[in-house]
Amino acid sequence: MLKTCDLSLRYQNGKLALARFNIAVRPGELVIVLGGNGSGKTTLLRCIARTLAPSTGEVWVNGTNLVELSGERLRRARLALAMISQHASLVRRRSVLANVATGALGRLGGVWTALGGLPACELAAAYGHLEEVGLAELAHQRAGTLSGGQAQRVAIARALAQRPRVLLADEPVASLDPEAAEDIMRLLRRLAAEENLAVLCVLHQVELAYAYADRVVGIRDGGMVFDLPRAEVSRETVRRLYLSEAA
Amino acid sequence: MTDAAAPARLGPRDFGRGGTFVVVKRVGIGLVLLLILAQSLIVVEARPQDLVTGVHGMADIIRRAMPPDFQKFGGELWPALETIDIAIFGTVGGVVLAIPLAVLAAANVSPSRPIYFVARGAIGFARAVPDLVWALFFVTAVGLGPFPGGLALAVHSVGMLGRLFAETIEQMDMAPIDALALTGASRIQVFSHGVVPSVLPSLLGITLYRLDENIRSSLVLGFVGAGGIGFQLLTAMNLFQYREVSLLLIITFAIVQAAERLSAVLREKIS
Repeated sequence: MLKTCDLSLRYQNGKLALARFNIAVRPGELVIVLGGNGSGKTTLLRCIARTLAPSTGEVWVNGTNLVELSGERLRRARLALAMISQHASLVRRRSVLANVATGALGRLGGVWTALGGLPACELAAAYGHLEEVGLAELAHQRAGTLSGGQAQRVAIARALAQRPRVLLADEPVASLDPEAAEDIMRLLRRLAAEENLAVLCVLHQVELAYAYADRVVGIRDGGMVFDLPRAEVSRETVRRLYLSEAA
Repeated sequence: MTDAAAPARLGPRDFGRGGTFVVVKRVGIGLVLLLILAQSLIVVEARPQDLVTGVHGMADIIRRAMPPDFQKFGGELWPALETIDIAIFGTVGGVVLAIPLAVLAAANVSPSRPIYFVARGAIGFARAVPDLVWALFFVTAVGLGPFPGGLALAVHSVGMLGRLFAETIEQMDMAPIDALALTGASRIQVFSHGVVPSVLPSLLGITLYRLDENIRSSLVLGFVGAGGIGFQLLTAMNLFQYREVSLLLIITFAIVQAAERLSAVLREKIS
């Protein structure tokens, strides 16, 4: 379960990037955030992941408020939260399997992993995650040889290796062709249901939101404009969201 | 019918002032380069006529150096091996010392600014002092032989490798590193699973190139008593054993060519 309470971020130059934002994503739910450029979508995800420190507010993940934590305690609490972004960001010279297994590093200690080794049990688990995303046959291929869609699937498998309860996706299909984008969204939809993951996804493609979201959230100037079940989001509502941005 | 949307064509007048400026700039640069060349000819006291008058002396040395004394070939193998091993020792020692220094001296992964500047300073100092000077220093410290040669190359290599390693780390794509950090991996895990695999091929390529360079350098280090084939060469020249000198030069040529070829083949395999 992911929940934010009055989450705000004001930059040093005084600009309010996020204004008392409240959102809740339940396990098994896929929530899609829509909004124009600079509306605060990515800032929201970065504040939740704590790669940006919010000015005020709370971020609750599995009953722990991440905002209160720092250092090692924050690192441990954050293990329940995985993030994928527009670019897959794989280590190109390593195998697909090794890239996926590195998702488990946060749970692993010891000299072997510090020296670059990966336990056999994690490699086996990584293979299972690759099967989940339909790329097991590419396990031993170099990550640098993958297409954009394949690389994004591997990034999702890496996120699964982390065994998260919450998955944050920051424009995961922005650099993909329509077919690959549909594949990734179908995968996120399926993982939310089968893995009971709470998935919060930022998108620009309105049609994909209509097709795959359980709920759609609109954001403008760092504040929430609407938070509605997919069926209740009218074309007019979305049009107004982007019209206001343009104005 | 004309296309109203077509952009207006640019004529010579549009480039007139810029063109003149470019010509003046090029002439200026040419003059500066000529001045630099002229002052260097004066400073080195270049006397081309001496090359002509010295031809007889050179021809005499070449005549006395022929044929190479292949009977001494067996005896020269050990110094040749020494030369190669000085280079290997120096390169490996340089890599071992350069890697941690390079990590500290790479702006994107260095733990703090003061450590960054100290590491950069150490690398700069090791590079600024020539390997021959390091060899003289180590010959004084540990005595004659191949060991001071190896030490000299190791320290000088730290300077060269440290800088190139640090630049390689600074130029790597940070996105996979940030993604690994987000999974909750520790700093050391991010380094071993993200940084190392990303830069390893480049570091190996640089190391092989350095080994190639160090083999050339180790030939010269013998001139100051740091062992290897250079020491044999100096001794033979001092004793006017020109046939032995020509043999040593053939062995030197073979070693340098083999090292260069091997280095190139291995670097190609890595890339």
